[in-house]
Amino acid sequence: MPPERFDRIDWEEHAGSSGFSASINTVAFVLTALSVLALAGYDRLFAAERETVFGALARDVGVGPRFESLGIGADPGALEYLFVITLLLFVWYLLAPLYQNPRMTRYYWDRFTRNRPAVVSLGWLFVVFAGGLLGPLLLSAPQQDVLAGHQPPVYLSIDASNVARCLGETVGGRCHGTWRYPLGTTQAGEGVFRNVVYGMTISMQIAFITTTIVAAIGITFGTVSAYAGGWVDEALMRFVDIVLSFPTLLFFLLILYIYGAGLGMFILVFSLFAWGGTARYVRSKALSIAEEEYVDAARISGASTYRVVRRHVVPNTASSIITQLTLLVPGFLLAEAQLAFLGLGDSGINSWGQLISAGRSDLAFAPWIVLAPGIVLFLTILAFNFLGDALLDALNPKTEAERGR
Amino acid sequence: MTGEEPLLSVRGLKKHYPTGGGLLSRSSGAVRAVDGVSFDVGRGETLGLVGESGCGKSTAARSVVRLEEPTAGEVIFNGGGRAGASRNDDGTHPNDVTRFGRAELKAFRRDVQMVFQDPTSSFDPRMSVGASIAEPLSVHGLSDRGRRRAIAEDLLERVGLSPGDYGRYPHEFSGGQKQRLAIARALVLNPDLVIADEPVSALDVSVQADVLGLLEEIQSTFGLSVLFISHDLSVVREIADRVAVMYLGEIVEIGPTEAVLTAPEHPYTEALVSAIPTVGPGGKRQEIELTGTVPDPSNPPSGCRFHTRCHAVVQPEGIDLDQSAWRRVLDLRHRLEAGEVDLETVRESIRARTDATGDLDRSTLGTQLRAEFGLPETLSDPVAERELAGSIEALLGGDADAAAERLASTFRTPCEGTAPEFTGHGGGHRSACLRHAPDVPSEPE
Repeated sequence: MPPERFDRIDWEEHAGSSGFSASINTVAFVLTALSVLALAGYDRLFAAERETVFGALARDVGVGPRFESLGIGADPGALEYLFVITLLLFVWYLLAPLYQNPRMTRYYWDRFTRNRPAVVSLGWLFVVFAGGLLGPLLLSAPQQDVLAGHQPPVYLSIDASNVARCLGETVGGRCHGTWRYPLGTTQAGEGVFRNVVYGMTISMQIAFITTTIVAAIGITFGTVSAYAGGWVDEALMRFVDIVLSFPTLLFFLLILYIYGAGLGMFILVFSLFAWGGTARYVRSKALSIAEEEYVDAARISGASTYRVVRRHVVPNTASSIITQLTLLVPGFLLAEAQLAFLGLGDSGINSWGQLISAGRSDLAFAPWIVLAPGIVLFLTILAFNFLGDALLDALNPKTEAERGR
Repeated sequence: MTGEEPLLSVRGLKKHYPTGGGLLSRSSGAVRAVDGVSFDVGRGETLGLVGESGCGKSTAARSVVRLEEPTAGEVIFNGGGRAGASRNDDGTHPNDVTRFGRAELKAFRRDVQMVFQDPTSSFDPRMSVGASIAEPLSVHGLSDRGRRRAIAEDLLERVGLSPGDYGRYPHEFSGGQKQRLAIARALVLNPDLVIADEPVSALDVSVQADVLGLLEEIQSTFGLSVLFISHDLSVVREIADRVAVMYLGEIVEIGPTEAVLTAPEHPYTEALVSAIPTVGPGGKRQEIELTGTVPDPSNPPSGCRFHTRCHAVVQPEGIDLDQSAWRRVLDLRHRLEAGEVDLETVRESIRARTDATGDLDRSTLGTQLRAEFGLPETLSDPVAERELAGSIEALLGGDADAAAERLASTFRTPCEGTAPEFTGHGGGHRSACLRHAPDVPSEPE
């Protein structure tokens, strides 16, 4: 067979073919997401009320308690399934492309690493991410133990009169901390360290699920608005105005008093009213990208509008969207902590906000209960902000063009 | 053109952009970017389309390929197995691109490709150049990844780059290399016609020659037709077989490159040709300087659109002036009509020159005004002089409208009343200028 040449293609052969071929990432995402959904469906239909899904699965498949011996004893709820799916999105559409395009990755990584604080921030966020993901698998949830309340962190001590029973050494009337509770315990005797680790999971769930919802709605509204134009554009943008001016907090309080509000409701309400800015931003970006010659080149090659948006417009707005979303996350984390502090949060979860709220009455003699999650929350928010700024610099196409010349 | 059917035949193409508009405001007018353009491109031929920035040449090209929807006109494309079609009973043509449906348009996209002007924006910065070149293949249904890559790598070699550049990104290439890549992308679907929209104007002169050479080589190898758009006649001269000159949305002259450049018939072409830098002694031409400003395309001049700037504008019966003085009088008239003559600046310049203070008498002002517009102290034609003097008198008296009216009544060129038709000069060389019309006997030279 002669070498392939552009003028030897018989186009009749390909007539009628849409040329659609799903990328490997899409295939992988769909397969993994479907298996998670299947598990969720199985959980809902077949697992008994008080049974974990893996327990039920082991029973039905007949592998005995093998899952539990592997440490997979979790009983995920709807939020956890959603979290896993957003993680899959993150892996297949953000991490996998970075791996597949090493040249591009190296280029951006070089630019990114010029910003030292951002690298440290990324490291810290990785710790929080890994802790949130693996912590619940490795550590059991914090248990109440009234007798072990107010234990100080290791290497610190507290006046023995403040503790019901000192688990560490008591020297000179002061109770010292032990490695059993590295960051001490709360009034109810829950380990602060475990609480902080479990709080990482909550924070990561908030971060990932909200950004996914915000990105999905914002990108859809923005690109449709930019490409449809005319009255569609006008209508969508006026709707965005409404969303932006909506009193989300009051609405959330209303829902809270009527239905009660768990973490899922918090995430849903706050992300459903936070995408306005993203949509506007994507719209203006899409409009400016539509002027670029490579979009004309794609159109004149016969590419459909959907293809142009999917292959050119969205990837080129992605850098700005990622930056914007990164800067949006701290707001959600703070909002959750504030609501929890005011006693309006989901008391059934181990979030940092709940922990801070639990420790505020004991601030005088047991400050670690507030300080540990407070510092972690502070650092996380700071890290997201640093990361957002660094991404803005690293991914900014303006500076890229100047370097490219 | 011979009897052979041209590859591309554009007839009366118009593209108007409505101004105003929006939901609440009523649309008030239109920018006539392209206003009735007709030309043919033969098979294997290069047609150069030249004109200054903003004359509508890019818009014309984009309308031909329907990147912009044309307002009116026909674009008949006979390439890609469409040859030999004849008109339908209702007068429409089956190969009229402006009437193509979705599927036909997609098939048409395979046969016409474009090279763009700006190398920095013509490639997606997030895609490797190889993927960009191969993208049209997958759009048209070539789903085999390996074949796409092989074809793109072969093309990279053909345009003078290496197959190893497939995975590199646009920022890693220079402007000239990117234009080579753009040519590769335009070739990948094996088109019949390539439209090159100012492909070298963003490049250094030394690189320009390379890219032009590549384009010519590719064209002769694959028998492509090229529509080459440029503002630079010296570039067009290198590459085009025929050239069409555009001014303000219309073609004013079209013909074989050699004929148009050596013997331009339209005054606008004359001015463009005179601006081409020449090498060596003896070849020095008198450069023709165009006076006046480029008119607004939303409100183009009546008659011949070039008459507001034309150095050879026809004089009416009963007036016999030196051509440059005639041009200057018209300039004064157009400026007066636009309300752009400011007596205060005339006074300022006298004061600056003579240190005079207080009120200036009318004759000094009149003299200075004439000097500012390059007019002689007195016009050679007594009738014309009387009218001009009267008009200046009215202007100094503070009545600019009367001054403009007086000038307009006497100094009225036939060019502003009649839109010129094309006249042939032999060999397919045609131009649209009133001086060539048979009923205008006085050839002002």
